[in-house]
Amino acid sequence: MFGLNRRVSGAAATNIPEALAVSSPCGDPRQDSHVDLLQSWMSLAEMQQRVIRTLIAEIQDTSGFVEKQADDLSGRFQRLALSAQQQTGRVESLTSLATSIEVENQPVPIEEIARLLKDTLGDVIVKILMLSKDSMAMVYAMSEVSANIVNVEKCMASLQQVTSTTNMLALNARIEAERAGAAGVTFRVVADEVRELSKATQALSVTMKSELKAMTDGVATGRATLQRVATIDLTNNILAKDRLETLLGALLQRGNVVEDIVAEAVSEAGLISADVDGMITGLQFQDRARQRLEHVVDALSVISEALEENKRNTASVAPELLELAPADLGWVTGLLDRFTMSEMRARFAAELLTGAPGAEPHRDAGPGDTNGSIELF
Amino acid sequence: MKFEFQPNDARVTLSGEFTFTDHVAFREVADRLLQADDRTIVVELSQLRFIDSAGLGMLLIARDEAGKAGRTLVLSQPQGQVKRMFAVTKFDELFTIQA
Repeated sequence: MFGLNRRVSGAAATNIPEALAVSSPCGDPRQDSHVDLLQSWMSLAEMQQRVIRTLIAEIQDTSGFVEKQADDLSGRFQRLALSAQQQTGRVESLTSLATSIEVENQPVPIEEIARLLKDTLGDVIVKILMLSKDSMAMVYAMSEVSANIVNVEKCMASLQQVTSTTNMLALNARIEAERAGAAGVTFRVVADEVRELSKATQALSVTMKSELKAMTDGVATGRATLQRVATIDLTNNILAKDRLETLLGALLQRGNVVEDIVAEAVSEAGLISADVDGMITGLQFQDRARQRLEHVVDALSVISEALEENKRNTASVAPELLELAPADLGWVTGLLDRFTMSEMRARFAAELLTGAPGAEPHRDAGPGDTNGSIELF
Repeated sequence: MKFEFQPNDARVTLSGEFTFTDHVAFREVADRLLQADDRTIVVELSQLRFIDSAGLGMLLIARDEAGKAGRTLVLSQPQGQVKRMFAVTKFDELFTIQA
């Protein structure tokens, strides 16, 4: 029992009558034992008051510490919530970037660009086909013209042959007319006319041959030019459409993938915001904890006041009881040994053994310090 | 380009590469096809490795001439580059193409 252990000197605390009989200081064992018991109670009351004061200080300090930490965490989470909200906005803006581009301050969907390119390329392909077909039709037409010219040249050769023969006939007719003398005068006139006609035909044939040669040369030049046009291979230009359509398809597909990822990121950001909001709400526990601890402190204060009042009343009735029994160091040590935090044990030791308040708790709750108030054991 | 006619002249098989330099030979092929009695004339292309834009143009001319003669020109079994060219130029909207 508190304060009696040394006086009973090894007697069991529950065996008080025997102990009192051995240690009676004034000859009346019963009265002496009452005095010892009261002094022991007074000493215990004093120690209880110290314990209560220390507990109240600890509770108030811890309550303040928890509140400060909770406020700090709440502030951080609020900043985190704001950042998450802003991040959601940024991620959402990526959606439009992935699906459209800005042209002259107007958003143009990539799908529309792809459709425009596809239509344009399709139109180009149609025109390439028309060009190829018309070029080949012209080649065939020029070939036919060339064949016709060859036929005309053959005709011209035949005509020249006819003219030459006619000329020879006219010459023979003239000779025969001369032989016939006066009887051949009329025949000579006809022969001369035929000869003149043959000369005119010959001159016309030469002119036609010259014109035909010019025409042949023009057709040959045109055919060579057309051949150069027709032999321009547009195969790669045609296949470029195929390649571009493939690239556009891949571009659209990537845009869709990015859109899906962004949508997922927006959803995740929303969940994070909701979680952070929930954490901020959850951190409001410190209000209830503080109120509960205030009630505990209040109750402890009432007990301490009651003990003080009891001491005062006891002292007024029996002043000799003011002499307290020495503190039971073993009991105090046993109590202190229950504390695993050295800092808290030191404060209790100072308060219990000397009655003086212990050192202020070390509370470094700065934003960047996470170890200052935590003792690992 | 090489070509080989079936006995009734309504079907011809082209092989090798069909380019501008084949325009004289293809003219003969087209004329011979149009002289066949069948209403449907077939150009078999499974052995044709390459066709250029001039080749496409010649097929279009042959198609027009077949149409004027009341015939239908069918392109059969294009492969590889020829098949790709037909797909890009949407030849299937202009010809009957047998796969």
